[in-house]
Amino acid sequence: MRPRSPLHPYLMLAPTALVFGLFFLYPLALALHHSFYAWDLLTPPTYVGLRNYRSLISSGELAGTVGRTLSYSAVVVSLSVTLGLALAVALDRPGRLYAFVRASVFSAYVVSWVAVALLWMWILDADAGLLTVVLRKLHLPTRSWLGDPDVALTTLALVSVWKITGYSMVIFLAGLQDVPRSLHEAAALDGAGPWQRFFHVTWPTLRPSAAFVGTTSLILSFQAFDVVRVMTQGGPVKATTIFVYAIYEDVFVNLRVGRASALIVVFFALLLGLTGLQLWAFRRASGARKGTA
Amino acid sequence: MIERGHRGRAALSTLVLVVVALLWLGPYAWMTLTSLRTLPEIIAAPAYPLPSSFQLGAYREVLESVPVGRYFLNTLAMALTIAFLQMALALPAGYALAKLHFVGKRAAFALVLACLLIPAQVTFVPVFTMLGAAGLVNTFGALVLPFGASALGTFLVRQALLSVPDEIIEAARMDGAGELTIIYGLLAPMIRPTLASLFLFSFVFHYSDYFWPLVMTTDDSVRTLPLAVALLREQGTGVRWHIVMAGNVMLSVPVLVVFAVAQRQILRAVTARA
Amino acid sequence: MKRLPRRDALRALAGSIGAALAPSGSAGCARRAPDGRVEASLWFAYGGNNRKVLLALVEQFHAAQDRFRIHATYQGDYFEALAKLRTSLAAHAGPTLTHVIGEVVPYLAEAGVLEPMEPFLDGAGRDSLDLVPALAQDRGFVGGDARPLVALPFNRSTPIAYYNKTLFQDLGLTPPTTWDELRLVASRATTRDGRWGFECPIDWWFWLALVGQAGGSLIGADGAPTLGGESGVRALELWQTMVHQDRSMKPPPGRDYNAWQVANTDFLSGRAAMIWTSTAFLRYLEDNAPFPVGAARLPRGVRASVPTGGTLFVMPRGRPRLEQEAAFAFLRWMMAPAQANAWATRTGYIPVSRAGIAELEASGYYRDHPSDRIALDQLACAEPWPWSPDLFRIEREAVQPRLEEAVLTGKAARAVLDEARRVAVEP
Repeated sequence: MRPRSPLHPYLMLAPTALVFGLFFLYPLALALHHSFYAWDLLTPPTYVGLRNYRSLISSGELAGTVGRTLSYSAVVVSLSVTLGLALAVALDRPGRLYAFVRASVFSAYVVSWVAVALLWMWILDADAGLLTVVLRKLHLPTRSWLGDPDVALTTLALVSVWKITGYSMVIFLAGLQDVPRSLHEAAALDGAGPWQRFFHVTWPTLRPSAAFVGTTSLILSFQAFDVVRVMTQGGPVKATTIFVYAIYEDVFVNLRVGRASALIVVFFALLLGLTGLQLWAFRRASGARKGTA
Repeated sequence: MIERGHRGRAALSTLVLVVVALLWLGPYAWMTLTSLRTLPEIIAAPAYPLPSSFQLGAYREVLESVPVGRYFLNTLAMALTIAFLQMALALPAGYALAKLHFVGKRAAFALVLACLLIPAQVTFVPVFTMLGAAGLVNTFGALVLPFGASALGTFLVRQALLSVPDEIIEAARMDGAGELTIIYGLLAPMIRPTLASLFLFSFVFHYSDYFWPLVMTTDDSVRTLPLAVALLREQGTGVRWHIVMAGNVMLSVPVLVVFAVAQRQILRAVTARA
Repeated sequence: MKRLPRRDALRALAGSIGAALAPSGSAGCARRAPDGRVEASLWFAYGGNNRKVLLALVEQFHAAQDRFRIHATYQGDYFEALAKLRTSLAAHAGPTLTHVIGEVVPYLAEAGVLEPMEPFLDGAGRDSLDLVPALAQDRGFVGGDARPLVALPFNRSTPIAYYNKTLFQDLGLTPPTTWDELRLVASRATTRDGRWGFECPIDWWFWLALVGQAGGSLIGADGAPTLGGESGVRALELWQTMVHQDRSMKPPPGRDYNAWQVANTDFLSGRAAMIWTSTAFLRYLEDNAPFPVGAARLPRGVRASVPTGGTLFVMPRGRPRLEQEAAFAFLRWMMAPAQANAWATRTGYIPVSRAGIAELEASGYYRDHPSDRIALDQLACAEPWPWSPDLFRIEREAVQPRLEEAVLTGKAARAVLDEARRVAVEP
């Protein structure tokens, strides 16, 4: 449609553009600028060129942070997709009871990360937590789930899975509605067992949902912060210092704004790469699902 | 659907139901039970499922040491304002992207899509220094303005408006209605489900936001509840899990209530089926 | 919480929004409380019981005079509060008054963000405050008396050992006085079914104590960080031996003060027979333990040595003069014998006023509370902090994470400290 006045579209987009420009584009440019300086916020910044990037690489901090973030994401994404799918299939039954349990699973997605983090910190407490007590009663080995550098990151990932599986379950449930019943019945009549029916009838229809869930939980897991800040503060021994927390720590604890800005630039570049990945995944899913992030 | 091994399948699904219910409801139950204990109970025998008696001391302690009411109002005000602002800005922007032809439309849409995927954590350092220079740190504005526009909201509104026939708008124009009247008076009611979903989604997300208030606030004039509950841990003395869990209960209950009441709307927002 | 009538709730909401929307840090205009008093903001980082004591003292201050008010806000633990402070200073949104750990005072002072305090003394010298020198800036830092006064002590401490008297009695043990005795006692008190003989947070504070006891010092005579050299290695190795070899020491999990909390809880629940932690928890532990709590000095290596801990009050620059006067009035009041004693006796921190200590001794307080004396007596072997702006950075970036690493993973102490030294000299 033609706008009533040529200015209208720009005026209508102006407030949104103002907010995005001011709080997104300009800060990003500032971060790029800061990344070439060393600055502790209290004294004037000093120009250092590429030193921040170089020290990030040479100290192994960049590789470590990226590696940790990726392995955290891997656990979160793979588990939330498979578990979400499994729950969707298992709980896709009529009745108030099933509806209630589905709602309970999803409710974890709705409450705040702080609440979830504090709750699980208490449950996982190595001495008095519910999990420890239950394991001891069952004479199973127990560990310091949050204090052991080898398992801390996995523990955090599992807590995140607990929180967001409800989201993927709901997406899959919606996707399951699209599975044509008639195909199922035809396949069953042809003698196909339940697994074969799943792989040949259900799964192809669900693939776009899976792609969607996979990419969004990938992005969500890259943005994880609250759970780290509350539960482990990046420890033990940096085992849970993933990207956003690393940025936060460099700014607020170490007061190395320059290096934090360099991390931001790298993080943004990575996220942009993920955007490309998402668009590619969507195109592959042939637009069967019009989804949102 | 033809069922084979019906009874076996039913038993299995009941088992799954029980396990899932335990895994997802159990923690809440444990949280509430803990909040009803006393300190000696927690130090000594934390495992007994039921506290010896239901003590409200933890809640009293939280209410005494934390202005819960004020923080709750802060959080509520912040989340409501953000949700309203986002709705108000997304409507004209979505309308322009959906219905109007103009130069740079594709670029604008691409930008909106790009912003969809960048989280606040990437921008907080420069925003913090920017707001600091403007003297706006620790103000309501610092909490609200950066989220005034929502890429997701703009996208959703655009999608919803695409399916509104142009004729309706043209008819309204011929009747002499101004563009703003059309957007807010005519189209908004038509896409009410989308708007409601957007509003709820945004409200729930920002109500629970921990990161931004953590970075942007410095005292309790604008402090929010998630932040205050996280601070309840008050390290350095001893375990206070009953107090922390009491704060947690107070933090989560409003959200769970909203969820219980507006379940369908929230789910709709998530699955983007307006 | 009393239910607010709706009108009041709305008014409160509008008020808080309105007040919150106003930009902070309007230079020149001092904040005023509703009753007209000049109001200074205090950011504090005490939790639990200590927080209650502080807030009670603030209220007492309000009652004792009618010109000033102190608005106290809790900001988390020392590190969280420090992070908040530094970033807020950069954004000109800082408080009038706050307290920071000793290690960071030189950095803040050299960065020029602290207001010198001597002008507020109205001509009387800094000695007029009659503070315990080892706890004040003057002797708490090497050469602290040669620098402008920017910090006043309040909650000052040393690490001490707490032990479960009942357990020790049953086992026929006495608190160790040397490193060898420490290992022996810890082993004897450790049982197979989950009781640890010794627990100590893997924190640079306690490591420094060990370094001093081994005869070393953090920073060499030329100002370069030696990190204790050989003594640093021996200190770290003592922990590693006790954790991995003797298996008599539990390193409590958790970052920073989370670990201290675990140590306290383990001690109270009987899971640890002896812990090292700050004298600050004396009251808390005594009040909450179901057994009599004993306190003792830290053992000696080649000599006795402890660092001082706790925090000092500082006034950031840039706030209106009137607010700073309010803040300093509060500080001066807190330094007075009565208040210094009130704070110390109710918490376990060391009283900072010399006159106050004399009063306590005269009244027989220490006879009735011998545990309170331990930290005070240890001051005789307290190490002052070097006045080095890098001190805090060395602690947080170079040493602390590597201590954790060395103890938890058993990596070679020497290699770890060499690495730390390398990071410490990096700009």
